[in-house]
Amino acid sequence: MMVSDNREDYLIEILRLTEGEGRAKTNDLADKLGVSPASVSEMIKALSGDGFVTYTKYRGAELTPEGLNYAKQLRKKHHIMERFLTDVLDLDSDTAHVEAHKMEHVISDDSAIRICRIIGTPVDDDCSSCESQCRAATGLGRISKKLNEMRQGDRGCISHLKCEDPKTVKKLISMGFVPGRDVCIGSNGSRSGPKVVTVGNATFALDSEMASFVYVEPSDD
Amino acid sequence: MQDGMFTAALVGQPNVGKSSLFTRLTGVGVISSNYAGTTVTFEEAVVTRKGNKVRIYDLPGTYGMSGNSDDEEVVLEMVRDPDIDSVIVVADATNLQSSLVLCFEVIELGLPLILAVNKADEARKKYDTDYKELERILDVPVVPVSAKTAEGVDELADALCEGRGRRSTFQVRYEPHLEEAIDNIIGHLKKIRFDQRGTAVKLMEGTKTFIEGVMPATAEIASVLRDNFEREHNETSDIAIARERYSVSDAIVRKVQTRTQTKFSRKDRLSEMMITPSTGIPILIAVGLMLFVTMIFLGSLLDEAVSYVYDTLIGNSLADFGADKGGEMGRAIMLGIDGSIRAILTLVIPYIMVFYIILGVLEDTGYLPRAVVLVDRTMHHFGLHGGAFIPMIVGLGCNVPAIMAVRTIRSRREKLILTSLIVMCVPCSAQIAIIFGIVGKYSGFIYAFAILIVLLALMVVLGLGLNRFLKYEPSNLAMEIPDLSAPSLKNVLFKTWNRIKDFFVIAFPLLVVGSILLEIALSYSLMDFVIGPLSFLTVGMLGLPAAVILAFIVGVLRKEMAVGMLAIIAASTGIMELASFMGPEQFFVFGLVMAIYMPCLATIAVIWREMGWKETIAVSALSIGTAIAIGTLANWILMAF
Repeated sequence: MMVSDNREDYLIEILRLTEGEGRAKTNDLADKLGVSPASVSEMIKALSGDGFVTYTKYRGAELTPEGLNYAKQLRKKHHIMERFLTDVLDLDSDTAHVEAHKMEHVISDDSAIRICRIIGTPVDDDCSSCESQCRAATGLGRISKKLNEMRQGDRGCISHLKCEDPKTVKKLISMGFVPGRDVCIGSNGSRSGPKVVTVGNATFALDSEMASFVYVEPSDD
Repeated sequence: MQDGMFTAALVGQPNVGKSSLFTRLTGVGVISSNYAGTTVTFEEAVVTRKGNKVRIYDLPGTYGMSGNSDDEEVVLEMVRDPDIDSVIVVADATNLQSSLVLCFEVIELGLPLILAVNKADEARKKYDTDYKELERILDVPVVPVSAKTAEGVDELADALCEGRGRRSTFQVRYEPHLEEAIDNIIGHLKKIRFDQRGTAVKLMEGTKTFIEGVMPATAEIASVLRDNFEREHNETSDIAIARERYSVSDAIVRKVQTRTQTKFSRKDRLSEMMITPSTGIPILIAVGLMLFVTMIFLGSLLDEAVSYVYDTLIGNSLADFGADKGGEMGRAIMLGIDGSIRAILTLVIPYIMVFYIILGVLEDTGYLPRAVVLVDRTMHHFGLHGGAFIPMIVGLGCNVPAIMAVRTIRSRREKLILTSLIVMCVPCSAQIAIIFGIVGKYSGFIYAFAILIVLLALMVVLGLGLNRFLKYEPSNLAMEIPDLSAPSLKNVLFKTWNRIKDFFVIAFPLLVVGSILLEIALSYSLMDFVIGPLSFLTVGMLGLPAAVILAFIVGVLRKEMAVGMLAIIAASTGIMELASFMGPEQFFVFGLVMAIYMPCLATIAVIWREMGWKETIAVSALSIGTAIAIGTLANWILMAF
C-alpha cells in the first residue's frame, strides 16, 4: 500500500511517543510535528481509515498491529540510513538525521537490509540506536528463525549467531555458518534429530542444540 | 629451513584430501578416508625432484587458523615455526568457498604459499573453473590437482621444489570500522614474527595464541576495540570478519566458477536414503549384518583354506625338525614357533584382513558420517553424540587409532565415556578373531553371537551408567558430511596392508619369542608361582583350567598372543588338540573375558598419552573388574544348566 510521506511521518511520531503501548495525545503530536492540533485530528482520521490507528476522542491515537509494524519498519530504515550517513559517509549527526528523515520514505526494504548488512547491524534486531528498545520487536522485513525450527527443503540466509559460549560460535564460524551465507535444509527424519544443512557447497550434520544457535532469514521460495 | 632442507607443510580443511595428496607427492603411505579428521598427528616425508629436496609435512585438517581446537593449535604452531618455508594450502575444488577462506587466512599471516586445488577431476563434472583467473586474483601459484587420478601432482611437486611458493599481495578489505581498529592495533605492534596486518586481524578476532604472543598493553587495546565493535554493531568482531571473508570468497568463486550440472544426481538420492531414518536405519542394520556375516563366512572359509595349505606344506615338519636337532627341548621350541605361525596365519589373514577390507570400503564411500546422523540421538543417552560412532567402528579394527580419534572430542567427560566403551564393549580385530576363530570354532557360532550380545548389553548399561555418574557437560554434533564416492581398490588394499602389517612385523616376532620363553618356562615348571595362587580366579570363579591365566597375562601384551599361548598351554598339559583342552562353555567364558578385559599395552600407552594416568588406571581397573564379574556370572549360569 502506498502511504504518503506525510502520513509516514505521523506514524513514526506516534511510535516514538508510545513505543507501541498506549495512546498518543493529539496535542503532543501537534507539538512534535509543529502543526496545529486540528491538522493532527484530520490526519489521524485519514490514518484510521487506512487501518493504521484507532482513535478515541480525548484519549488520542493508538497504533493497530499493522500500523505498529509499519511504523517500526520505517523507524528502522531511518536508523539504518542515519548510521550509514554518519558511519560510512562521515556526515555530522544533525545533517544525517535530516537526510535520513527524507530517505526513510523512499528506500526499499531490500536496499535497507543490504545497507544494514554493510554496516553490520543484525537485521532482525531493532536498531541499537533507538533511545528505548521496542518492546514487541518485529523486525524490518522478514523475521529470522532458528535453524533447528526449519523444515526439510527450507532455504534462507543466515542473519546472525547467538550462543553464550564463544568457542561454539567460533566453531560454527569456522565451519562456514557465517551471516550472509545461504543455507538449505536437507533430509532429516525426526524433529529432534540432527539437521542436515547445506551451506555453500558443504553439507553438515548439526544436532538441534547446535542448530538453535544459528538464526536464519527464510526465503520465500 | 630444517637441516638445510626446504620445508613445506600441507594445510587445508578437513577431508579436502591432504593425506591422499601427501601420499601421491611423497610416495609415503598415510591412511586417508572419506570423512573429516582421519589425520590426527602429522607425518613427514622428503620429496626429491630435479636435484632439489623438499621436506613435506602432512598436518591435521583445520577449518580455520584460530587455534580453536587442539588440531588448529597444532597447525598454527607448525606454520608459525620459522623452519617452515612454505605452505601448500590444499583446497577442495568442489567446495571452493570455504577453502578460499582458509587460504585468505594464510595469505593474511604473510606466509609464502602455493594453492593446490584438489578434486579437480571431480569438480569438472559439475563446474567450469578458471584456475588462471583464480591465480591472477589471489596472486599466488594455483595448481589444480587430483590425488585420485594424480593429475597435476607432478606440476605441484615441481612448483614446490623450485620454491615457487610466494607471499601474496592480495588482501581482504574489511568494513571501515574494522579497518580502523586494525590500523589502530598495527600502530601498537612491536617486533613480531608474522605479518603486522595479519596479527592485527587475529587480535581483532580474539585468537588466544596471538593474544598471548603480543605485549599485554597491545592485547588490552585489542580487547577494548573488540568490545567497542560489538557494542556498536551488535555483532562480535570475529563474526564480522568471517562474514566479510565469506562474502569476498563467494564473489571470487562466482567469478571463476560456473555450475554446469545442477541435476539432482543418483548419488544425492542415495545419500538422502542413507540419512532419512525410514530407509537409513534398515540400511544401517543391513551394513552391520553384512559386516559380520562376511567376516564369519569369508573368515572361516579362509581360516580352513589357510590351515589346509599350512598342514599340507609344513605339517609337523617344524616340530620334527626341532626334535631332530635338539631333542625334547628343540621340539618344544619349534612347537612354539609352529603355534605362532598358525595363530597369525589363521587369525590375522582370515578375520582381521577381511574386517579391514570392509572397513576401508565403508570409510572411503563416505557412508560413516551418514550413519552418524542416524545414531546421534541414541548416543546422546550415553552422554555422547553421533560423532562417537566413527571411533567405535574404527575400534572394531584396533583400539589405538580409535582412541587417538577421540582426540577430536573436546570435553573430558565424553573422552572418558567413549574410551571406556571402546576398551570394554568394542571388540578389536584380535578380539573378534578370538570370538569367531576360537569360540566360534570350538563352541559354535551361537556362543560367538552370545558374546556380541553381552558386549552390546554391557555398552548400554555402561553408557547409561557413566552418563549418569559423570558430571553433565553438553555435547554437540557438528560434522561435515562429505559427498559419497566410489572406493578405490588401491586405497582400500593399501590401508588394509598398512593396518595389518604390524601383525607381521611386531606381533609375529613377539609371539615367537614369547612362545619360546613360555615353552621353556613351562617345561621347567617356572610359571607355577603364578598359576597356583591365581587358580581361585581361573578355576574357582571362571571355571577354566588353571594354566589359562598365562594366556590372560600374555594377552595384555597383545590380544592375539593369547590364542597362540592357549595352544602352548594345552600342549604342556599333553593335549595336542585345542578342542579337547576345554569344553564349549569354557571356551565361551574364555572368549567373553578376553573380549572385555584390560586394554593391551599399546592401548594403555595411548590412553595414558591422551588422557593421563588416573584415567588409564580407572579404565583398566574397571575393565578387569567387569570382565571377571561377567565371566564368573556366565560360568555360574552355564554350570546351573
